[in-house]
Amino acid sequence: MTLLFQPPRPDHVPADRIVDFDFFHIPPGMTDPAEIWHDLRRSDVPRIFYTPRNGGHWVFLDYADIVEGYRNHEIFSTYQTPIPPIEPFPVMQPQGVDPPDHNVFRRLLAPMFTPTAVRGMVEELEKRAKALIGGFADKGECDFIQDFAARYPTGTFLYLFGLSEDRLGEFLDLAGTFFRSTDPAARAQNVVDIYAVLESLFREKERNPGNDIASAIVTARDADGNQHPWQDILNCGFLLFVAGLDTVTNTMAYIWRYLATTPAARRHFRDRLDDPDAFLRAIEELMRINAVSNLFRRVTHDCTFRGVALRKNDRVILPNTVANRDPTVFENPDMIDLDRKVNTHVTFGVGPHRCVGSHLAKREVMVSLAEWLRRIPDFELVPDSGETRAFGGSVMGFESLKLRWDV
Amino acid sequence: MKVHVNLSLCQGHARCEEICPEVFATDTVEGKCLILKDIVPDDLLEKARLVVRNCPEGALRLSRDKGAAAEGETA
Repeated sequence: MTLLFQPPRPDHVPADRIVDFDFFHIPPGMTDPAEIWHDLRRSDVPRIFYTPRNGGHWVFLDYADIVEGYRNHEIFSTYQTPIPPIEPFPVMQPQGVDPPDHNVFRRLLAPMFTPTAVRGMVEELEKRAKALIGGFADKGECDFIQDFAARYPTGTFLYLFGLSEDRLGEFLDLAGTFFRSTDPAARAQNVVDIYAVLESLFREKERNPGNDIASAIVTARDADGNQHPWQDILNCGFLLFVAGLDTVTNTMAYIWRYLATTPAARRHFRDRLDDPDAFLRAIEELMRINAVSNLFRRVTHDCTFRGVALRKNDRVILPNTVANRDPTVFENPDMIDLDRKVNTHVTFGVGPHRCVGSHLAKREVMVSLAEWLRRIPDFELVPDSGETRAFGGSVMGFESLKLRWDV
Repeated sequence: MKVHVNLSLCQGHARCEEICPEVFATDTVEGKCLILKDIVPDDLLEKARLVVRNCPEGALRLSRDKGAAAEGETA
């Protein structure tokens, strides 16, 4: 296959900026996949370096550069960015479209995910968290990923799209293949399957609109009073499907893993169940420390950035977990301070493509944790559950997380 | 003290509304910062200062000036 956005041979990269780094590779025995990034951060590699792995790409390590990568869309595009390159890759609306064109769908989605809009979903989020936790609380153990963290955000997606919870299994399968399969044929078929589901879903919502986000997207009108292009509607559905599942699942996995091993942190949250400001501050800190996403950009034209020559179509990774521990921005960056007052973490990105669903994601975590602690105030990792495997990549996380508690 | 937002910088993180909903909201058209009280009452000043320091885009500032907002900003 000929790649439309084939990166050039890196003859523009000086030898002293080349580092052999594979962001998918988690060495055996490493239990936290983010440690590969923190090992880099603590090493003396250049703060902007190039690795030939995964098709070749740059890595930025300073907060200021990562933030600039997000903000400066004239150099760093979100269009066709996968690392390693996959083409054609679905153009997610609005994520895969550069400003100002991205603003059409951004303006459509943003009002549906404001803090006020998300507050209107809290009752439903609480009900679903209670039901899921109630399903295993009396057993005294669970696989947190399989039994909660993967199911919960997928159920939220069904709710947002006005779909019945009966379809959870079908959507869990679609998401499981999308996020975990390494078989190229299965992956290609999976994208076709997801689009087929979205097609029939949006057609149904077009005929019978309800009070849900899918209906709002399909019935929205552009400045001229027309429906948005059908492919863009599907691409927006695709974004909502892929963006809010694995990220939330693994953020929760990180947080519950930390709480399972840190009694003082459990107590901190338990003592603040009725103090929303303090609860939010503590969640914000765990969002900073447990940033699971490493996002991609593609260079739009040959240029020099911070004195480094970049070529058109070079890929760049912006590792949020690294930015979030930059000592020039955060006091005691490696310390988890659940009362941290100033916390400009970039877990949801910054700039024009900042995560539009951040308030929903945070609310899902807050509601889940509050319901969990009310029912299961203390819990721990199942000792020697052995092959709790960690994975790297664009979203880092764990394949399973076995927890136990007294009943 | 008067609070200003530069809407060309604001990307709608809404950390302001989360921390201090008495002064900040989020508009329902673009999902960006909406200032409810441009003159911050004394009892909310500490919270408003925290908001300014927590804005991920640096889009907010406080000033003593009670006059018109600087160019490119709405109050």
